[in-house]
Amino acid sequence: MAEHRLVTPHSSEYPVGLGDLEDPPPIYVSGHLTDATAVAVVGTRRCTRYGSDLARSFGKALGRSGWTTVSGLARGIDAAGHTGTLAAGGHAVAVLGCGIDVCYPAENRDLHQGILESVGALISEYPPGTRPDRWRFPARNRLIAAMSSAVVVVEAGEKGGALITARLAAEIGRPVLVVPGDVDRPASTGCNRLLRDGAFPVLGTDDLLEELELLIGPPPTKGTDASGSDVPDGGIGIEELPSLWECTPSEALVRLAQMEGEGLIRRSGDRILPAI
Amino acid sequence: MYAATTSVALVGGDAREVWVEAHVGRQQEAFKLSGLPDTSVREAKDRVRAAVASSGIRFPNRTVTVNLAPADLPKAGTDYDLPIALGILAASREVPNLEPAVVVGELALDGSVRPGSSALVAGVISARRKLPALVAVESAAETASVPGAVVYGVSSLAHAVEMLRDGIDSGPPVRPKEGSSRRSSADLAEVKGQLIARRALEIAAAGRHHLLLYGPPGAGKTMLASRLPGILPPLSDPETVEVGMLWAAAGRSRGLDRLPPFRAPHHTASKAALVGGGSGIVVPGEVSLAHRGVLFLDELAEFPRGHLDTLRQPLESGSVTVARRGSSVDFPADFQLIAATNPCPCGYHGDRRRPCECRPVARARYRSRLSGPLLDRFDLIVHTARVDLEDIDDRASEPSAAVSERVRSARSRRAGRAQSGEHDFSDPLIRGALEAGRLTLRGALKVARVGRTIADLDESERVEEQHIAEAMGLRGDWVDG
Repeated sequence: MAEHRLVTPHSSEYPVGLGDLEDPPPIYVSGHLTDATAVAVVGTRRCTRYGSDLARSFGKALGRSGWTTVSGLARGIDAAGHTGTLAAGGHAVAVLGCGIDVCYPAENRDLHQGILESVGALISEYPPGTRPDRWRFPARNRLIAAMSSAVVVVEAGEKGGALITARLAAEIGRPVLVVPGDVDRPASTGCNRLLRDGAFPVLGTDDLLEELELLIGPPPTKGTDASGSDVPDGGIGIEELPSLWECTPSEALVRLAQMEGEGLIRRSGDRILPAI
Repeated sequence: MYAATTSVALVGGDAREVWVEAHVGRQQEAFKLSGLPDTSVREAKDRVRAAVASSGIRFPNRTVTVNLAPADLPKAGTDYDLPIALGILAASREVPNLEPAVVVGELALDGSVRPGSSALVAGVISARRKLPALVAVESAAETASVPGAVVYGVSSLAHAVEMLRDGIDSGPPVRPKEGSSRRSSADLAEVKGQLIARRALEIAAAGRHHLLLYGPPGAGKTMLASRLPGILPPLSDPETVEVGMLWAAAGRSRGLDRLPPFRAPHHTASKAALVGGGSGIVVPGEVSLAHRGVLFLDELAEFPRGHLDTLRQPLESGSVTVARRGSSVDFPADFQLIAATNPCPCGYHGDRRRPCECRPVARARYRSRLSGPLLDRFDLIVHTARVDLEDIDDRASEPSAAVSERVRSARSRRAGRAQSGEHDFSDPLIRGALEAGRLTLRGALKVARVGRTIADLDESERVEEQHIAEAMGLRGDWVDG
C-alpha cells in the first residue's frame, strides 16, 4: 500500500474548497494534491455506454485543460471520468467512502492503482482500513461537492449519490452542470430533474469547457485540441465506422487496422477509442 | 420354398444392403421374424398379412420365417413391409421367382404402397449394385435422382406382383426429379444497416470460417445467421444425397434440397439431440443434420459446458462418433458453426442506450463460460450493435443473390488452390501487432486465414496488404468492453 498522510484543515495542503463545509474534517491523503481548480464528474453506477463514453470524454478534456477531476471511484460514470483523465495524463482525485487502502469496488483496482501511479490522489476522511459501509458513501459526497468548483452530472437516475452530490454542491454555491437525456430513459431522470431545477445544461465536451470557463474562470492550461484522430473522443462502435468515414465496410476495416498499427487508436472490446 | 430380395438399411450415414429372406415351411401356421427388428419392423407382420389379403392373394397358412440379414445389424422403420411381402409370396410360389431388385416401401392395410424414409438409400444401393429399385410411386422421383439409380414406382402390392410377372423392366424407369434450386426464403436484402456484420458473414461464407456474433438482444444476430445458407454455394449432387440420407437416418425427409441445411438447436437440447444417440438404433443429431450446412447456436453461453465440449470432435474431424455398448457409429458432421451470444446475462453491456443490469462478477462469470478451446474455433468474432431506427438507410441492402455470386467465385478460387497449413506472418501489420502484443500467435493465424479468404473474394491470387488489414480490422475480441 502506498504511503498516506493525514492532512488537517490547518495544513497548507488542505483543499481550499473543503473550508466551505460546516465541519471541515481532517483527511487521509495518498498521492499528490495540487491547488488547481477542481471539477467533479459524477453519475450513476448503472450507466449506459453513451454515459460512460461521455464521462470519459469529459474526464479527458478536463485533464487536458489542467483542471483536476474529482470523483468517487464508484463503478460507472465515476470510473469512466477518471479513466479519461488518466488517459489524458491529467490530475485525478478520488474521494473514497472507505479507507484509502481499501479498493472498493474491486473491479476498479486498476484505476485505483492508476491514480496512485499518476500525479493524482486518493483521499478519504476515514482512517485506513475502514470497510466500505453503505452509509459512508453519501457522507463522502459532501467532500466531492465541496472540494470542486463545479459539479458535472453525466447520468443520474431517480435517486442516487450523484443527486446528493449535486444538491450539496448547489447548497454551498457551486455551479451544477448536467447532461440532458431522453425523458423516458431511467438513467437520465435525475439529470433532467436537476435541469428543471435550474442546473446548467451541458451540450457536449466543447460546450462543457466553454461553460466552465464562464462559470469558474479560464482553465489552468489552454487545452490543446488533440482530436487529430478520426475517431470521436468518446469512442465509437465498429459498426458506425462506415457511415462516419463514408466508405465501404472493407475500406473502413482496412483504415481501422492501419490506424491501429500506427498507434492512433486502440480497441476496448468492440469500441474504437483514440489512443492518446 | 425359399426366396430372397434386397432391401436397405442406414448405418450411420452409410447405405447398407439388407437381404430379406423368406421361407415357407410345412409346419403349422406361424409367422416368425428375425434379424434384430425393432418394434416398427416387427409390426410389419400384421401389415403384411392384411395387405396380402386385401390384394386378393392367399397368405400361406404354414410356418413363415422371415430373416433380415445380416442378422446382427439392428433394423428399424416400416420400409421392409414390401420386400417382406414379396419375399413371402415368392417363397409360397404365389408370384414367380423374384428378379434381383432393391425393394422398399411401407404397406397400407388395403395393399397400397406408401413412401417411407429410405427413398434415397434405395437409390444409392440401386446405383451401387446396378439393381433396379422398386419404391413407392410418390418417392420414385426422389430415388431416381441419385445418379446411376434405375427406379420403378409401384402403387400397390398387387401392382408390384404384376410387375414381377411381366418383368420389372417392361415399363420405362422413372425420370429423376430435378434437385430443387430453391432460394432461401430469408434474404440479406431484409437486413438493414449492419454493414460490418454483413461483410463478416460474406467472408465467413467464402472461407467457411466459424463465426461468433455478439451483441445486445435485438441486434439482428439471428436474422444475420439464418441468412447464411442463402449465400452459400448450393449443394452438389452427391452432397445433396449424402445430406438427404443423414436426414433420412434421423427419420426426416428433406428431399433433394440443394440449399445447405440450417439447424438451430435450442440451448435446452440434450446431448444426444446435439451429437446423436437414442436407444436401439442410433440416430444422428443436430451436428449431422447440419452436415455441409450451418449449425447455429443461439445464446451460446447458455449451452451447458458439457454440451459444448461434445462439439469439439466434430469441429476437428468433421464427423462424430456415437459410442454404444458393444458398437459405435460414425456420422458425418462437417458443419459451419455460427454462434450468437449476448455480451452479459442481461444482454445490454456496451449498449449505447440502455444500462447493463448485471453485477460485474456475473458478467465475468458469463464471459468465462466461453473461454478456451471453443473460442479458438471462431476465426471471426464480430460485434453487432442495435440499429437505431433513425439511422436506417432507406436504400435497399444488397440481396443474397449478389453476395452469393461473390462467395461462389471465391470458393472456386479456394478450391483451385493447393491448401497449405503454412502461413507466414511477414506482413508488417501482423508483425507489428505481434510485437506490440496486440495479437497472439493464434490470433495471427486467424488473421492470416481470414486475409486469405478476403483475397479470394477480391479475386486476388496473392494476399495483399489491404487484405490482411481488413482481416485485422475485423478481428474482434471477446475479452472486455
